[in-house]
Amino acid sequence: MPSQTLEQILEGRRSQPNQLIEVLQDIQANYGYISEEAMQVVSKGLGVPVMEVYRVASFYTAFRLKPSGKNVLTMCMGTACHVRGARLLLDQATGQLGVKPREVTPDGLFSIDHVNCLGACALGPIVTENGTYHHHMTPGKLRKLIGTLSHQAVEGK
Amino acid sequence: MLQHVNVNIDGANIRAVRGTSVLDAAIEYGICIPHLCHVPYLPDIGACRLCIVEHVVNGRSNVTTSCTLNVEEGMVILTNTDKIRQLRRNLAELLVAQAPNSRAIQDIALRCGVKEVRYPFRNEDCVLCGRCVRVCTEVWRARAIGFVGRGKERHVDYPFGIRPEFCKQCGNCVQVCPMTIPPCDGPMKPGEEYLCGKCESQLMLADETPDHCVWCKLGEGFTCGRYVQ
Ligand code: SF4
Ligand code: SF4
Ligand code: FES
Ligand code: FES
Repeated sequence: MPSQTLEQILEGRRSQPNQLIEVLQDIQANYGYISEEAMQVVSKGLGVPVMEVYRVASFYTAFRLKPSGKNVLTMCMGTACHVRGARLLLDQATGQLGVKPREVTPDGLFSIDHVNCLGACALGPIVTENGTYHHHMTPGKLRKLIGTLSHQAVEGK
Repeated sequence: MLQHVNVNIDGANIRAVRGTSVLDAAIEYGICIPHLCHVPYLPDIGACRLCIVEHVVNGRSNVTTSCTLNVEEGMVILTNTDKIRQLRRNLAELLVAQAPNSRAIQDIALRCGVKEVRYPFRNEDCVLCGRCVRVCTEVWRARAIGFVGRGKERHVDYPFGIRPEFCKQCGNCVQVCPMTIPPCDGPMKPGEEYLCGKCESQLMLADETPDHCVWCKLGEGFTCGRYVQ
């Protein structure tokens, strides 16, 4: 449940175009994604053309423009993780779940994301599951992890 | 009062108006620097990289885009060294591989001396020159289109992909786009692209004097800044 409404987020920042990124970050944190309607409201509130809001929101991978799944798997695709086989992990996840990166499974349970470095290169390849880091990942471990997560969901935990 | 500075471009001493770009100064003087994303009445963003030159500072040279480089007193610029010609040819080759279905880009490739294309043809319909975005933003103040996404997903689009009601439907974005004139033989199908090269006859003069503007007919096709001046 969002702890702050759009109005509250914009409070005290209206007509300040330089607050664009901060406002988008707060919306991302509160809602988990940035909807079209939210971008329209931000555009009016800050006095930034809607094209500009959309351009910025679509540029940074930290902003999602669609809701994410219940479980978010983030693959690190940075250089260090890449040479240690991050590609295989991405293939494992997309293959097992049948969705492309930045898409949500039809049951809304999973979405896959990729980022460029999580800052823990020595422990790579890294996959995070809802913010929890899993180091030295292998396709096998990832398969089990996805299995466990979908099991938990079925049991309604 | 306009202030002037003295710059040296390819050995010629040029008095240029302070605040203009090296590209504008060179074109006005008749020195050819091929360019694509530059439109004289729009701000430059250095997107296509074709207009690169060598800027010599203390005996060292930097390769940089001349459309985004402002003239300064005592500047030394080389526009036609072997290094520049080679880099520029490669850039033009990449452009024509990206978008062979544009007469403008085929023309530029020819002007830059591309003789064969070593990269796979992608046959895209945009080269991300940003002309359309800038004309919409700067001339019409509409901001109805812009760049969306980043890296290889970057493309031009309306906000949320739908034409907004504040688009004035002026059509200027289409007019300035280098992709709107197909090659003379008509659009090429995917898998059947080639380097056009038919206008080579026009280049007899241009080939011998790559550094001067020869008012090449090609310039009309790719809307060279010299024709707009
Ligand atoms: S037609 Fe619309 S999108 Fe194109 S330049 Fe005009 S206002 Fe901008
Ligand atoms: S649509 Fe045309 S004018 Fe706009 S960026 Fe692409 S190639 Fe350039
Ligand atoms: S490359 Fe993956 S954590 Fe740095
Ligand atoms: S004309 Fe200078 S980068 Fe395109």
